[in-house]
Amino acid sequence: MTNRLRLALLPGIAASILAGCSSTVAIDMPTIPEPRVEKIPVDVAVRIPAEFYNFVHTEDVLGKSKQTIELGASNANFFRQLFGHMFESTIILGPDDDARDYQFDALIEPSIEGFEFSTPGQTQSNAYSVWIRYRMNVFDRVGNRASSWTVSAYGKSQKMGLTGTDSLRRAAVLAMRDAAALIIIQFEKVSKIRDLADGPLDPASVEPETRLAGTMAEPEDEEPASVIGVFAIGGIDDVAE
Amino acid sequence: MLRSSLLVTCTTLGLGGCVTSHVEDARETVTGLNAGESVVIMAKSYHGGNETESDYITCVEKALRGGSDGIDVIPRQRFVDRLFPWFEPRTVPADTKGLPALMKRPGVRQAVEELGVRYIVWLDGDTERVAEGGSLSCAAGPGGGGCFGFAWWQNDADYEATVWDLDDFESAGSVTADVSGTSFLPALVVPIPLIARTQTKACKGLASQLHSFIVQ
Repeated sequence: MTNRLRLALLPGIAASILAGCSSTVAIDMPTIPEPRVEKIPVDVAVRIPAEFYNFVHTEDVLGKSKQTIELGASNANFFRQLFGHMFESTIILGPDDDARDYQFDALIEPSIEGFEFSTPGQTQSNAYSVWIRYRMNVFDRVGNRASSWTVSAYGKSQKMGLTGTDSLRRAAVLAMRDAAALIIIQFEKVSKIRDLADGPLDPASVEPETRLAGTMAEPEDEEPASVIGVFAIGGIDDVAE
Repeated sequence: MLRSSLLVTCTTLGLGGCVTSHVEDARETVTGLNAGESVVIMAKSYHGGNETESDYITCVEKALRGGSDGIDVIPRQRFVDRLFPWFEPRTVPADTKGLPALMKRPGVRQAVEELGVRYIVWLDGDTERVAEGGSLSCAAGPGGGGCFGFAWWQNDADYEATVWDLDDFESAGSVTADVSGTSFLPALVVPIPLIARTQTKACKGLASQLHSFIVQ
């Protein structure tokens, strides 16, 4: 009887220990201030993917079992604010909306390619760091892909308090702000999105794997010729000129 | 032997650790602060490896504001938000050469003028533990508990504040604080911490010199 009782209690004890070793951090909604730049005179549609409304990242951290970061809808909120600040007019499309039902010059489809973080214990420092890699696909009004761009963002926050939860939260928000700064400064130059206000791409210059934006589904394995990765650090001068 | 003598001296002098500090400035131009003008204290970018602690920046801000002749210090987050995205860690100007072009960007000069910012002070540096030693052990039993032993550690605080004048877009000079502090923890049943406030000393020293540097 005693053995049975022990066996019955065992899963509960194990679950308690595991729960004690894992933690979950919910990220605050980032606020992107009104940028000191001129708005780009292009009417854009932004397709917010389903994962942006409930993004959860789980990572095994040495000595801590599991750490989960819940970004929730912060990415959706982030891109809504950002593109609202950057363009003359912005239409937000849900994951199931058909882009062909709307009028716009360009369609932007952001997605998350990677999310990583480090804790003070891992880096032997006093700071939490967060890396986010976004992919920005831009299509013309008929669905030809104009550009595809990787944005690598980084946020770092020193440990505050005993748990460090606030620091990790702040590092994630700083990474989003970092992405916003890079997108604001480089987007027009990298994507040449302003040209799309004059009409769709010249068919001769369209990539072979042209797709209709409204039917966009999975990212392809092979990257098109226009894929660009930019990761600049410090003192960006006149890049938007 | 030397460390024991030092411990006795520090204990006698006020139950604190020992701190030595060196603060100096290097001036490049004439400074001054008119009525309605303010400063903003910023940390150099962590993208470049800087690790200045946010509580150190807050300490310098408070110290500059304090007193009857305090300086008007704009909260850095307000400044960064008002000038977004030009003072983010990734985009901060690397030197004063980029300032004239930055001021020509839409709304930038207007935002700086509205905030009344005359000087940007860039803080660089951090406080690090450079040495430690000794041994301390504690035990507890039914009859009570206690500690026995002696531990010590040394922290070095090295900070540099570079002052940019937004009136003429050039560096006005810099102020450096180099502070070293040794803390002791002797224990004979009860531990007696003799803590050297290295970072606080570096904050007060740098802020005081910075105040004189700016106001003249």
